[in-house]
Amino acid sequence: MKGYRKYFAKKALWFVVTFAAAVVLNFLLPRLMPNDPVAAITAKSARGISETWAIRAMYERYAQEFGTDKPLLEQFFLFVKNAVRGDFGVSFSQYPRTVANIVSSAVLWTVGLQFPAIIVGWLLGNILGALAAYIRKGFDKVIMPASLFLSSVPAFGIAITLLTVFAVNLKIAPISGGYGYDLIPHFSWKFIKSIIDHYQLPFWSIVVMAIGGQAIGMRSMSIYELNADYVKYSRFLGIKDRKIVRYVFRNAMLPQITGLAMSIGTMVSGALVAEIIFAYPGLGTILMRGIMQGDYPLISTVTLLITAMVLLSVFLLDIVCGLIDPRVKAAQYD
Amino acid sequence: MGKTLLEVKGLTTKYITRFHENVYAVDNVSFAVEEGKSLGIAGESGCGKSTLALSLMGYYFPPLHYMSGDILIDGRNISGMAPDDVRLHILGAEIAYIPQAAMNALNPTQKIIRFIEDVILAHDPKMGKKDIYDLARKRFEILNLPADVLQKHAVELSGGMKQRTVIAISTILSPKVLIADEPSSALDVSSQRVVIKMLRDLMEMGYIKCMIFITHELPLLYNVTDDIAVMYAGQFVEKGTAKEMVFDPLHPYSKGLMESIIVPESGTRDIKLSAIPGTPPNLKNPPSGCRFAERCRYVTPMCAASSVRFLDVAGERNYRCILPEEKLREVYGRA
Amino acid sequence: MKNIFKQAFHSPRFVIGFSIFACILLTMLIYPLLMPGNPLEMIGLGTFFRPGTYVSVYDALDADSRTIKLSDADDNRLAKAMSDADRISMMEWLAVAGVPAEDIDLRDTHGLISLWKKYYDPSVRPEGMTKAKRNYYERLNNRLVAVTRADTITMLSPDAETGEMEERGRVAKTDYVNVSDVTNVRRLPLGTDNFGRDMLKELVSACGTSLFIGLVAGGIATFIGLLLGLLAGYIGGLLDDFIMFFTNIFTVIPSFVILILISFSIDQSQRGALTTAVVIGLTSWVWTTRSVRAQVLSLRNRDHVNLSKLSGHSLSRIVLTDILPYIASYVVMAFILQISSGILAEAQLSLLGLGPKTTTTPTLGLMMNWAMLYSAHINGAWWAYYPVILTIALITFSLNLMNTGLDQVFNPQLRS
Repeated sequence: MKGYRKYFAKKALWFVVTFAAAVVLNFLLPRLMPNDPVAAITAKSARGISETWAIRAMYERYAQEFGTDKPLLEQFFLFVKNAVRGDFGVSFSQYPRTVANIVSSAVLWTVGLQFPAIIVGWLLGNILGALAAYIRKGFDKVIMPASLFLSSVPAFGIAITLLTVFAVNLKIAPISGGYGYDLIPHFSWKFIKSIIDHYQLPFWSIVVMAIGGQAIGMRSMSIYELNADYVKYSRFLGIKDRKIVRYVFRNAMLPQITGLAMSIGTMVSGALVAEIIFAYPGLGTILMRGIMQGDYPLISTVTLLITAMVLLSVFLLDIVCGLIDPRVKAAQYD
Repeated sequence: MGKTLLEVKGLTTKYITRFHENVYAVDNVSFAVEEGKSLGIAGESGCGKSTLALSLMGYYFPPLHYMSGDILIDGRNISGMAPDDVRLHILGAEIAYIPQAAMNALNPTQKIIRFIEDVILAHDPKMGKKDIYDLARKRFEILNLPADVLQKHAVELSGGMKQRTVIAISTILSPKVLIADEPSSALDVSSQRVVIKMLRDLMEMGYIKCMIFITHELPLLYNVTDDIAVMYAGQFVEKGTAKEMVFDPLHPYSKGLMESIIVPESGTRDIKLSAIPGTPPNLKNPPSGCRFAERCRYVTPMCAASSVRFLDVAGERNYRCILPEEKLREVYGRA
Repeated sequence: MKNIFKQAFHSPRFVIGFSIFACILLTMLIYPLLMPGNPLEMIGLGTFFRPGTYVSVYDALDADSRTIKLSDADDNRLAKAMSDADRISMMEWLAVAGVPAEDIDLRDTHGLISLWKKYYDPSVRPEGMTKAKRNYYERLNNRLVAVTRADTITMLSPDAETGEMEERGRVAKTDYVNVSDVTNVRRLPLGTDNFGRDMLKELVSACGTSLFIGLVAGGIATFIGLLLGLLAGYIGGLLDDFIMFFTNIFTVIPSFVILILISFSIDQSQRGALTTAVVIGLTSWVWTTRSVRAQVLSLRNRDHVNLSKLSGHSLSRIVLTDILPYIASYVVMAFILQISSGILAEAQLSLLGLGPKTTTTPTLGLMMNWAMLYSAHINGAWWAYYPVILTIALITFSLNLMNTGLDQVFNPQLRS
């Protein structure tokens, strides 16, 4: 167990380091660009105002709000201090709502949608990949190119296809939103039903999106394991095929957890775009709205939150992997 | 003379390649091993000795296919049995196998004791977990393996430890025949000694009744097995007692093979090392006559045309060459 | 390098992928030659014209007309005039009038009309039917009668001097013109987009720009990845630790987020296709660095490299002659993958509104963005986005196929 504690500590430290790097990048990247973001924002909101003094006053007010009149390092500490308290500033586009207020509900929608969808997609993809590897003939020939093509269709393509087929043409699912536009969020059967109805299409598009890549990975992993020496040895000891297949898929599936950790960033970005297609009230839609309206504080908060979510899931997956895969233990513990 | 435990009669198996060609890797092989005896099989890589090991178990999966011949274990013919029956009653219980690459023979994510449970329950579904654990611990103790290995995963074990664990697992059901396919070739010298001692102990304590030991390192055979057979191009070319084979090999190939290595305890160090020139024949369509003729230093005009049958007759010198014993010794310059 | 491709063509997957890709490339090169013109020219006034052949009505009047008598012409006109809802209403009326349900076939326009003519009577007031509904039936009947009435349409145009209307000609129901006799005909195989632009022309141009973005982004990413991977793997030590530290950080921080942050910081008027491509390239070198480093590490202590080192060859020579040829296949595979991920990244960025500026050249992502902004998917304008999605999917699919084909050739353990 001592080894695991060491592994855990190492992964936790790494999580802290990457998160710190992400915060610095999130802060620094927009400020390193040749453009002055404050000037851009002033230009946007000062449209129609011709008095120079008014524009300058506006610029100074924004500069103060962002703290861009202070040295970079001081700005950074202010940024971190405020962020720790949950203060991400005031939104430009939805003044005077705070960014924290806008984002807090969106995070729940996004997590509630993406977390189960990615897990389900991962599981289904693994099952299909394993089947393709085990059955091989014919089945493999169909599933393999199909998932290769499926993984080639961009996330938004899958989302739009599901939307047009099930919502626009068959009319068996709502077109957009997280719940009926005529409903006020409250706890009732009607509202929950509306949420579930609106959940289906975004959920399944993320699932389908996740399946392709996972199935391909699982297939080659399973083929590799099926040819492993322990399969032959177990056979020659008279162990039944059913049991051996279980060994193989367990062994092929465990590295897929690491595979998920590696691809979760890509999956989340695809899922965010799917959210936009369905106008789902999550971070993706908010991000898009923020971009269209030049809402600078909103964008940087959303990107930071997405990064934090991805890093946290990678960390958790690493921890799980270390717990249940003895190979990771053997390779990492010492 | 002991009871014959393993008898192989005219066994032929083939590989079917991706291009649907037949490769006869084991071609009409016959031999017998008595209770308490061990047979070593030696040959260059690719001569079919590993395929013979796989074929002896009576269980075939692609690309290896059974062609003809009989395998009798303690008088019971297993080559006609249904594959599922072979798996249930023979593999692991009657015949045990120690694979060539023990490094990867164990499922890396499974605890050793869980694997032992799977092995035993495959043959005796009624046995309790407690009994299995006791049996495994006792067997590990006898074989000088630490008991805590049982609770470890294969990835946590060193190479030598893995090999010894594999041997303990293979023999846990006290099989009649043990087939060891180069069990020590990947190990360092001291681990090799440990492994060979383990196999001997298993024989002496009666946990295994007879053994087939396959290797390309002849000195090992001289130390371990009672008899030695030399295999070439899918066939046995000579079989005899370890002593005969090392000090008085008759077949030119056996002689070449013996000359190309040093037998440490035999005082043959002064003999010049000589590798056998040439390569073994293509087994897709082997030559009709003597398969070694092309590489043989003592080849005669008749060799390519005539093939010699190989018989396993106890008490006689058995070798596959048209030249008589005396003539061969004369050619070799032995008295 | 030459050898890599020679070997690659032994894999059927690579060949299929390569053929698809070559077809796309050829279309992109040849189509603009056949159909020259600005792909962003707004030719249609209005949004989302259906795909098809558009015939100038004005010119059609001038074309020589021929009389063709077709027996089903009126039925076709009627069928077009009757919506599904109309048919159901007609069936309801007939049911009230006592026609057995099994005699009525909603799809059979001819039969339905003859039943209607027989049983419809505006003076009848069925019980329980509202006045509004009765009025509706009357209007429907008038409409149907008007369609079948045998008459001609007279065309008038004002006289240039007096302003009086003069008859210019008559069009009878049986008048037909040959499409090839009409002076102005425009084929729009994929219709128009929300701005009234020829979708096909735009798509071909966008495909080229997106491939350009993919190539530049992939090229930059591969170059950076190769350089860092070689440095980290071959020189090792502190440099290796340093490079790997950053590589590991950028492996877990989603590159999409960094892409958004950088793109947003560049003003839209300054974001051209090239800028976008460079930004994408700068954020996607991580995987190449990792795999190149792993390859170099395994090569570093091979005999031929050691021999080169002992012979006193320079670092650049060792890298060029003893290392690069061995990792070339991996680099090619990484490059292929990065082209497709670059195209995808551009599409996703553009969907968020962070793509290249919209005024100079279309990209696949921008086309998607426009279609979504104008709700093409809800309006049923499938031609505005499906061809785009399919193009992206085909490019990615062909590149993926080429990649797995190469993988089969160069990583034999997966071959089985």
